[in-house]
Amino acid sequence: MSGEEEENAAELKIGDVALILEHKYEQLQQMSEDPLNQVSQVFEKSLQYVKRFSRYKNPDAVRQVREILSRYQLAEFELCVLGNLCPETVEEAIAMVPSIKTKGRAHDDEAIEKMLNDLSLIKKFE
Amino acid sequence: MYLKVQLPWNVIIPAENLDAKGLMLQRSIIVRLMENFATRKATKDLGYFLAVTTLESIGEGRVRQHTGDVLFPVVFSCITFKLFRGEILEGVVHKVLKHGVFLRCGPVENIYLSYLKMPDYRYVPGENPVFLSDKLSKIEKEVVIRFIVIGTKWLEVEREFQALVSLEGDYLGPISQSKLYKEAEKLNFDAAIRENKTSVALVGRDNHGRVVLT
Repeated sequence: MSGEEEENAAELKIGDVALILEHKYEQLQQMSEDPLNQVSQVFEKSLQYVKRFSRYKNPDAVRQVREILSRYQLAEFELCVLGNLCPETVEEAIAMVPSIKTKGRAHDDEAIEKMLNDLSLIKKFE
Repeated sequence: MYLKVQLPWNVIIPAENLDAKGLMLQRSIIVRLMENFATRKATKDLGYFLAVTTLESIGEGRVRQHTGDVLFPVVFSCITFKLFRGEILEGVVHKVLKHGVFLRCGPVENIYLSYLKMPDYRYVPGENPVFLSDKLSKIEKEVVIRFIVIGTKWLEVEREFQALVSLEGDYLGPISQSKLYKEAEKLNFDAAIRENKTSVALVGRDNHGRVVLT
């Protein structure tokens, strides 16, 4: 997966997208009575999806998640998948993103576990 | 996966809209760009077009011979959604058939999970057909499933993607709603008024401090 990205494309977590799309939707609400009429089906379905699957409900939490994950030398897409799926155990994290184990950086289990703990703390105190 | 992409685009403004002052012109370029963007819907390389985020630059306009329109080359950033092979995602079941189920994930409606890729699950017919596993785990309409993408297909005419997914792998399969909001039974409910003050929501926090809406 990591080799297929466009050169000028960056991956986004569902939480980030939720903030952006909700903001857009609010802008549209201010401009017209019936914002859903103005947006494409693609936008509407995506907005529903990101609102439902965004695991962290407030913008600060989303930002903190990004901060924490960026401390661990992860590729952008690894960061996104971990942030999106929120694995609870080290085995689950490796199953979701096998490359965190196989690449040369060799994150050991302890580091991965610490990272997952930090993530779940954010959720607790959100 | 959701992507933020920077794109060059040519926005064409018909002659009638050109006699306005500078700011109005920029506004009509933006409006026209967003209209084109929504109409385009998706491309094979970038996926589904969700929303324009920023306008980076507007180049010098060039008059097109014969039509009198002006073409403005613009560069803008936007959000797109594309399915990648090998990616693990979560989606919702919206149709259950004898040989598999259809899932919806973001803007993609046609995600197919074949029964061949659901190890341990058997089809149970009925008015509300389901797939049931030996461990009594159920796959039915509105269930959230975590899957891996094994293939994607771009349909040029409909301008949309189809995908083939699988549950073969650790930690894949139905995710119970109660896992997303753990121990939902032990909630403290408060009524809260949403920000726009036109509706009331029941809000609670579960044991892990997560906000739960009903």
